Amino acid sequence: MVLELQKPRPVWQIMFSTHHTDVGLLYLIMSIAFLFMGGALALLIRAELFLPGSQLIADAMTFNRIFTVHGTTLIFLFLLPSASAVGNYFVPIMVRYKDMAYPKLNAIAFWMIPPGGALIWLGFADFTWYATPPYSIISAPGPAADMWIFGLKILGISSVLGAINFVVTILKCKHPDMSIGQVPLLAWAFLSSSLIVLVAIPTFAAALLMLLTDRLGVTGFFNPAMGGDPIAYAHLFWFTFHPEVYVLVIPAIGMMYEIIPRFSRKPIYSKSSGIFAFVLLSIVSFSSWAHHMYATGMSFTEKTVFMLGTLAAVPASGMHVFNFVATMWNGRIKFLTPMMWAIGGIALFFSAGAGGVANAAMPLDFTTHDTYWVVGHFHLFVMGTIAFGTIGFIYYMFPYVTGRMYNETMGKVHFILSFVGTILVFFTQHVLGLYGMPRRIFDYPAIPEWIAMNQIATVGAMIIGVSMIIFLINLIHSSAKGKPADIHDPFGLGGKYYYPFESKNPHH
Amino acid sequence: MKNLLGLFLVLAILVIIPTVDHVFAAADEPGEYIDRRVLIWNLFFRMMVAAFTVGAVVSGTMIWLCWRFRESHPNAKPTEYEKSGNFGESA
Amino acid sequence: MGHHSNWPEWIYVGVIIALMVWVGAEAWNVERLVEHVPSDAEVIIVTGQQWFWTFEHEDGTKEVGTLHVETGKAYKFEIVSTDVNHSFNIHDYVVLMDAVPGRVNTVWFAPDKAGEHDIQCREYCGLIHYNMRGKLVVEDPTT
Repeated sequence: MVLELQKPRPVWQIMFSTHHTDVGLLYLIMSIAFLFMGGALALLIRAELFLPGSQLIADAMTFNRIFTVHGTTLIFLFLLPSASAVGNYFVPIMVRYKDMAYPKLNAIAFWMIPPGGALIWLGFADFTWYATPPYSIISAPGPAADMWIFGLKILGISSVLGAINFVVTILKCKHPDMSIGQVPLLAWAFLSSSLIVLVAIPTFAAALLMLLTDRLGVTGFFNPAMGGDPIAYAHLFWFTFHPEVYVLVIPAIGMMYEIIPRFSRKPIYSKSSGIFAFVLLSIVSFSSWAHHMYATGMSFTEKTVFMLGTLAAVPASGMHVFNFVATMWNGRIKFLTPMMWAIGGIALFFSAGAGGVANAAMPLDFTTHDTYWVVGHFHLFVMGTIAFGTIGFIYYMFPYVTGRMYNETMGKVHFILSFVGTILVFFTQHVLGLYGMPRRIFDYPAIPEWIAMNQIATVGAMIIGVSMIIFLINLIHSSAKGKPADIHDPFGLGGKYYYPFESKNPHH
Repeated sequence: MKNLLGLFLVLAILVIIPTVDHVFAAADEPGEYIDRRVLIWNLFFRMMVAAFTVGAVVSGTMIWLCWRFRESHPNAKPTEYEKSGNFGESA
Repeated sequence: MGHHSNWPEWIYVGVIIALMVWVGAEAWNVERLVEHVPSDAEVIIVTGQQWFWTFEHEDGTKEVGTLHVETGKAYKFEIVSTDVNHSFNIHDYVVLMDAVPGRVNTVWFAPDKAGEHDIQCREYCGLIHYNMRGKLVVEDPTT
């Protein structure tokens, strides 16, 4: 328990701590703060798009900045750090070691994130979270663009440092009596995603540097006027960011591997399948990046290769779904908040994947590329699967971190509103995309179908917004005044809550 | 198993022969150009049939599971693991 | 680990793989058909720039914003950009191809009915990306 608000520790003690539970708590608080900041931007976007014409936002440039910072914030300042929060807190416990392998480096990796976030928010760039050249080189206003580049650089280094820590902790610091096969699936998830980070991120680090020197006019890597090729950036970017989406989803699936067996009161159907699926997914994630580039003018053969690479990832994802379903079979399921989020997450994971398969089919990309179909599709992953899994796990770890229980009714209401809202927004956006509405547009022609679907999506978004307020109130109030939890079985499942080895925070 | 194999063979032929036929029959004369809209949307709708079928199976299964194995179901019985209390991964 | 037989999982994975093979094969086939440009297609050079489209026909006629074509003919768009990435899109005809400075991308279509359709930009290109729109006017041939 690192957050006992009724016996508060000095804030500086947490901030200067290098213990994995404190660093995990710092990651958790910061990522939740950014969830709300990025989410607020989303509500602004949805409010603006409720009708054609300008509603709340005065001009297109402001709108373009808002969606850029929205995407950048939620990916780099919420999803990745919240996974690090969970990993930091639990990986050492899971491998029965006293801390992460490099505690000071761990704290440094965390503290790099607020400055990175500050650069992004103070700059408020407008070139989308891809920062594609030539726009980002010759047309995007600075210093916002340069601040974004520096911010991402810092965040990338933080990611790599964190990944090194996870890999060494899991492989080298695990308890001598524990074989690698005995390491829990959530730890395997962090191992897989960290290995992907180590291979994928350096490519983007290079691309960022090249983008910066291009902006300064010193080089012409991506600037055709200087003999460069914008498509080169697209390859570098997507070579990192396609695997990166798996870095995002794999920990969330790992979190579901913690929740679903326990709340079904059965062990996971097949741990070896789970491990195999994580490893396979990590490898296959590198084979599909250019499916994001089907419209850039690639040859037929290139497109075919990447389509096959994309489809190859589906069986591995499917194995996880099977594992969860087979675990629930013959169980005795207690439908508390964490379990509802995990199951909802699996259902939406499947829908996201199904839409993705349609996208991967090359000719169908002509109908969906850069439309709201893509927006709906990826949000079903990042919100429907990853955020759902993460939020469910936050509820699950709440008693462990605070020693108190959250309010169960509020938790369930949060889930139901979020689930309904997510479907209203993102399923609708698939259809909106099929009707041709492009992404990243401040305003749209008064086509009745577009207006209707935008309105449905806005209503859904507001429902999600309300549910997140409930979440925030629950988190804050319960941390301070929640009922003390039975630390050995807070959910009344009858099983052991956690691993026999519990972490000892030196400040406690 | 053999029947399943036979079924797959029949389906494969039902799909391959018309496709091959269509491929070699595609014309390139003025007025007879292929209509890309038709081809692409046709593919899309066939994919949607497959996706929604699989979706119905997956979500139907999950809904049934949640209903049948909930704690409050009349036939709900403790799992064999509840004796030892070990729902975490077996080693 | 796990003392139960795994055959349901193998069948399930087999079904997924079969489905993916089917998706891949169908997609490959349609793409192949759609990418085959007829030899007699008339070339139209499409230039995207911030924030409008211009068109140049084979006979030198230039159009800004609105493109006139005739039914029953095949047209091959050669798409270029003079500044940043854009994407030429006629949604009603499922025509989509990026305009990338420094290269020429090609896509073709053959309109079959008279009418008016929207042209839009489908790659973020800055301030007026949202309004980088045009019109495609398909007319019956005036013989």
